[in-house]
Amino acid sequence: MPVNQLDPDTVLSLYRQMLLIRRFEERCNQLYLQGRIPSTLHLYIGQEAVAVGVCAALGREDYVTTTHRPHGHAIAKGVAPRAIMAELFAKRTGCCKGKGGSMHVGDIDVGVFPAIAIVGAGIPIAAGAALAAKRLGNGRVAVSFFGEGAANEGAFHEALNMAAIWDLPVVFVCENNLYAASTPVSTAFKIADVAERAAAYGLPGEVVDGNDVLAVYEAADRAVQRARAGQGPTLLECKTYRQVGHSRSDPRTYRSRDEEDEWAQRDPIQRLASRLLDEEVIAPEGLDEIERQIMAQVDEAVAFAEGSPYPQPEEALEDVFWRQQ
Amino acid sequence: MPQMSIAEALRQAIREEMARDATVFCLGEDIGVPGGFGGAFTVTLGLSDEFGHERILDTPISELGLTGIAVGAAMAGLRPIADVQYGDFLFLAMDQLANQAAKMTYMSGGTVKVPLVMRAPVGATARGSQHAQSLEAFFCHVPGLKVLAPSTAYDAKGLLKAAVRDDNPVIIFEHKLLYGSKGPRTEKGALSPIGEVPDEDYVVPIGQGIVRRAGRDVTIVGKLLTVYRALEAAAILAEEGVEAEVIDPRTLVPLDKRLILESVRKTGRLVIVEEDNLTGGWASDVAAIVAEEAFWWLDAPVKRVSAPDVPPPFAPPMEQLYVPSAQRVVAAVRSLL
Amino acid sequence: MPTDVIVPPLGQTVDTLTFVSWYKQEGEAVRAGEPLFVVETDKATLDVEAPAGGVLRQVTARPGDEVAVLSVIAVIAGKAEGELEEFGGAHGSSEELRGNQDVSGAGEGPAQASGVQPSSPPRLLASPRARRLADRAGVPLQDVSPTGPEGAIVERDVRAYLGARGAEGEPAEPAITPVARRMAEEAGLDWHRLRGSGPAGRIVRGDVDRALTGTAPPAPATAAPGLAPADLLDTIPLRSVRAVIAQRMLQSHRETAPVTLTAEADAGRLVALRQDLRSRDLDVSYNDLLLAILARCLQEHPRLNASLVDDQIHLWRRVDIGLAVDTERGLLVPVVRDVAAQGLRQLARQTRLLAERARSGQLTPDELQGGTFTLTNLGMYGIDAFTPLVNLPETAILGVGRIKEQAVWVRDHVEGRPTVWLSLTFDHRLVDGGPAARFLQAVVRYVEEPHLLLA
Repeated sequence: MPVNQLDPDTVLSLYRQMLLIRRFEERCNQLYLQGRIPSTLHLYIGQEAVAVGVCAALGREDYVTTTHRPHGHAIAKGVAPRAIMAELFAKRTGCCKGKGGSMHVGDIDVGVFPAIAIVGAGIPIAAGAALAAKRLGNGRVAVSFFGEGAANEGAFHEALNMAAIWDLPVVFVCENNLYAASTPVSTAFKIADVAERAAAYGLPGEVVDGNDVLAVYEAADRAVQRARAGQGPTLLECKTYRQVGHSRSDPRTYRSRDEEDEWAQRDPIQRLASRLLDEEVIAPEGLDEIERQIMAQVDEAVAFAEGSPYPQPEEALEDVFWRQQ
Repeated sequence: MPQMSIAEALRQAIREEMARDATVFCLGEDIGVPGGFGGAFTVTLGLSDEFGHERILDTPISELGLTGIAVGAAMAGLRPIADVQYGDFLFLAMDQLANQAAKMTYMSGGTVKVPLVMRAPVGATARGSQHAQSLEAFFCHVPGLKVLAPSTAYDAKGLLKAAVRDDNPVIIFEHKLLYGSKGPRTEKGALSPIGEVPDEDYVVPIGQGIVRRAGRDVTIVGKLLTVYRALEAAAILAEEGVEAEVIDPRTLVPLDKRLILESVRKTGRLVIVEEDNLTGGWASDVAAIVAEEAFWWLDAPVKRVSAPDVPPPFAPPMEQLYVPSAQRVVAAVRSLL
Repeated sequence: MPTDVIVPPLGQTVDTLTFVSWYKQEGEAVRAGEPLFVVETDKATLDVEAPAGGVLRQVTARPGDEVAVLSVIAVIAGKAEGELEEFGGAHGSSEELRGNQDVSGAGEGPAQASGVQPSSPPRLLASPRARRLADRAGVPLQDVSPTGPEGAIVERDVRAYLGARGAEGEPAEPAITPVARRMAEEAGLDWHRLRGSGPAGRIVRGDVDRALTGTAPPAPATAAPGLAPADLLDTIPLRSVRAVIAQRMLQSHRETAPVTLTAEADAGRLVALRQDLRSRDLDVSYNDLLLAILARCLQEHPRLNASLVDDQIHLWRRVDIGLAVDTERGLLVPVVRDVAAQGLRQLARQTRLLAERARSGQLTPDELQGGTFTLTNLGMYGIDAFTPLVNLPETAILGVGRIKEQAVWVRDHVEGRPTVWLSLTFDHRLVDGGPAARFLQAVVRYVEEPHLLLA
C-alpha cells in the first residue's frame, strides 16, 4: 500500500512502535549480557512489523494471545514497557508481579493474556476468547500470534476447526520466521505455506510479507473487519525472519550468514524509514528525534525496573487462587 | 422434597445456574445434539431444548481444543462448564488444565481469573482400561485446581453450583455407577443412589467434608463409590460390635483436613479406601497428613485399601478384584483392632 | 526400619561422653526400654535404655571410646513386618515381601549369617496413643499385656492395666524403672518394699542405690507419709528445667562455702539517672544499669570475675553476666556477653530480648552457659536482702532488693531517700571476705554515684 494512502500520523506511529520494540529488545539483550536479567530471553528482533501491523488494526479491548517470544506483541498492544522491563528484572512492579517472567508477560487491561510458553496452547485460548466475545455481543476480536512450528501442534488444528464451524471472531496470525528453534521449516512441512492449511478447515488463509508493516496492517485490518462482521476467522501467514537466535543461548549454527544478511536487507524498520524519507513524510532530523524519544522511553523503563523492589519470598505463596478484587 | 438421581441433580444444577447467570454455558461432545444422549451419561439431556445450541455447545472430538476454548472463554468473561465423556480423556486436555488454567492466575500475578468447570466421569464399568480410570490424584497434585468428588445427589447439585460460582478452575469427578442414568445409558451393576434434593437454590461449600456415619472405633475415609463400600463395611462391622465412622470429604482439594483429623483423634484408627491405583494415590496423601498431624493419637498403623497397580481390567471377576470391595475394607479394619 | 541408637545429650556442657560398656552384644535381641549401654560423663555413670525393640546391629562403640553426643553407635533392626493384607503396590508385591521375611522375627535376611540367634522374639511395640497415656499415667509399658495388632500394646491395654489397679494413677504395685529393677534383682533386693522418689512415686536407681548402701532416702518429693493420695494437689515431675535447677542448686549448696555480705546504697542518683534516660526514649531497666556497674567493678576486682576449673581459679578477662529470669518453667539464667564493651542502649536491647526468649522457651543451651558472674533481682517482689546461691562455677552472685524510700541521715538532718539493699554471696573457697567486701563497696559507690563510671 502506498504510504500516502494512510494518514501520516498513523504511519509514523507504526514506525515508532516498531522502533520502540527494536530498541527495547536490544537493550534487553545488553542487560542480559551484563547479567542483570535473571532469565533467558526470546527476542523479537526482525519481526516487529508483524506485531505492530496486526495490533494497529485492533482496539484496546480486543484480545491477544502470544507466545514464549512475547515482548513485541505485548508492547504493540499497549503493555507498558516499564511493566515488562520490571517483570524481566523480577521486580514486584512487573506486569506479573515477578511471578511470570519474560515468557508470561501480559496485561489483561489492554487485552493481552499472560503469554503462553507451551507452543500452540494459546491458539484455542484465543478461539475461546472469541467465543466469549461473540456470545456476549461486545464486538471484540481475538488475535492469536504463533510461530509456524505451532501449526504442527494438535491444538492448532482443533482450534482452527472449531473457530471455522462456529464462525468465531478470531484472527490466527502465524509468524513464519523459517525456523522453529533450530528446525528449518522445510523439514517440518510438506507444503510451502502454512496458509494452505486454512482451506483444510474452511477458513480463508493469506500469505503476507511480514517485513512490510503496511502490508501486514492492511491484511490484518481486513481480517479483523471480517471477524467483527461475524464472518468468522482468518489465517494470516506473515513471512518474516528472526534476526537473532531462538533464545540467548543460541549460536545460530543451523543457518547461513548469507541468509541472515539477505534478510537484514529487508529489515522492516529500515524499509519503512526509507519510504518515509523518500515520500517526504518525515525529514532525517525527525527520525533522529524519534530515535531520541524512543531511547528515553527505554531508559525510563530500565530505570523504573532497577529502582523497583523485589517481591518478598513469601509472595510465592499468594495468587494460586483468585482473590476478590 | 423431590427425589433425584445424581444425573438428574447435576442436570438441575446446570439448568438453575444457566438460568441464573447468562454467562454460564456448557461445551462438550454429544451434549446437545437433538435426539442425542445428553452427554455420555444423560446429564445434559433436554437442556439444549431449553437453552439452545449456543449455550449447550456440541464440539467435535477435540478434547484439547475444547478445553483450551473453555479456558479462553473463561478468561474473557464467560463461565463455561466443559466436560469429557470419560475421565480417561482428560489426559488429552492435560496441558490446558495443568499448564494453562491452573497457572494463569498465579503467572499473571493475580490479575486474571479462569472461572472454568470441567466435569469428568470416572470408575470401572466393564469397558476396559481406557474407559475406567479414577484419576483424581493426578489433578489433586496440580496447584491452582480445585477438585470435587460428590457421591450423593444432594452434594452433586450443591457442589456443581458451587463450582460454577467459584472463580477458579474446578474439576468435578462423577462416578459412572452413581449417576442413576436411565434408558439406554443405564449402567449394569450401578448403585444409583436416589436422594432428596431441595428444589431451591443452595450450594455445598467447597472444602467441606461430611461424616456419613458416626463411630468410635475406626475412621474410614472414602470417595465417590468407595463411600458406599465404606458404609457397607461399617454395617458388617457393627454386627461385630465395631463402630466405624465413615467420612466423605466431598472436596479433594482443598481437603477438609480438620474433619478427618478430629475423627482420627477420636477413634485412633484410620482406613482410607479409594478406587484408584495404590502408588502415588490420594489415599497415600491422606495417610501422610494423618501420620504427620495426628500421629500421637494413632492406636494402629494407617491402612490404605486401593486398587492394585494395574490398569483396570475388563473381565468382571478381574474388575471385582481391582475395585475395593466392602469385604476388603472390613478385613483392613479388623487388622487394626 | 532400623532404629538408630544415639548417644543421648546428658548434662549441660557435655559434647562427648566416655563409652563404658554394652549390656547386649551384636545380634542379641533387645527390648525397648531395657538398659542397653553405659556411658560416663565427667560427673556420673549412667545407663541408657534401648529406644526400640529388635536386634542390636552395627555396633561401633567400644569400651573406653570417646563418643560424640547425638552420634549413632548402633542400630536396632526391626523385626519383620506382619503379614500384609493389602497389595504391595508398585514398590514390590506382598508376595515378594513375604519371601524376604524371616518369620522367626530375627530381622533382615543377612543377619542370619552371623550365626547369632536371638534369645527371644523382641516385643515391646506400643502405639503412640498407648505410649502417651502410659507416660501421663506413669505406667511402665513392659508390665502391660499387649492385645493390639502385631502384638502391640494399644490404648485399651494401658487402660486395662490402670483399671486393674484401682484408681487411675495409683498403682497397687509400685512402679519401678527398668534400670532400678535390674539392679535390685541382681542384688537380690526385694524392691517392692522400697519407697520411690521418682516421678509418680516410681522407684528409681537412686532408691535402690541407697537401699543397698544403707543411706537414708532423701525426703520424698511427692506425698508425705500418712497422706492419702486424695490429698495430693498436684504432681510436678522433676524433669527438664526443674531437674536441672534442682541438681545445680544442690550442687552449689554442697560444694561451695557461701558467705553473704549485705550493704545498703543510696539510690537517689541512680533513680534520677534512669528517669532522665527514659525521658529521652532510652528505656533502660535498673538491671541494665547494674550490669554496667558490675562490669566496671568486676574489671577493677578480677578476683570476683573468676571460676574454679578443676583445681585452678581462672580469672577472666571478659565480663559475661548471667541475668536471672523468672519463667513459668522455672528459673533461667541467660548470659549477657562482654558487658563491658556494650553501651546502655545495647544492654537494654539485649536484656529485653533475652528475657522474652527465656519466657517463650527459645533460649539455646549456649545462651545459658559460660557466664563469669550472675545478677539476680528480687526487688520487684518487695524483697530487701537475701542469700542467693553461687551459680557454679562462678565465684560470686549479686542479689538486688527493692528500691524504697527510707528516712536517712544526711549530714545533720533526716531526708527521705531511695535506698537499695545489695546482697553479695561469694564462694569463700576462692576469695576472702576482705576482697569481696571491697568489691561490694565499689558496687555501692557506683550505685550512689553512677557518673563515676565515666571516670
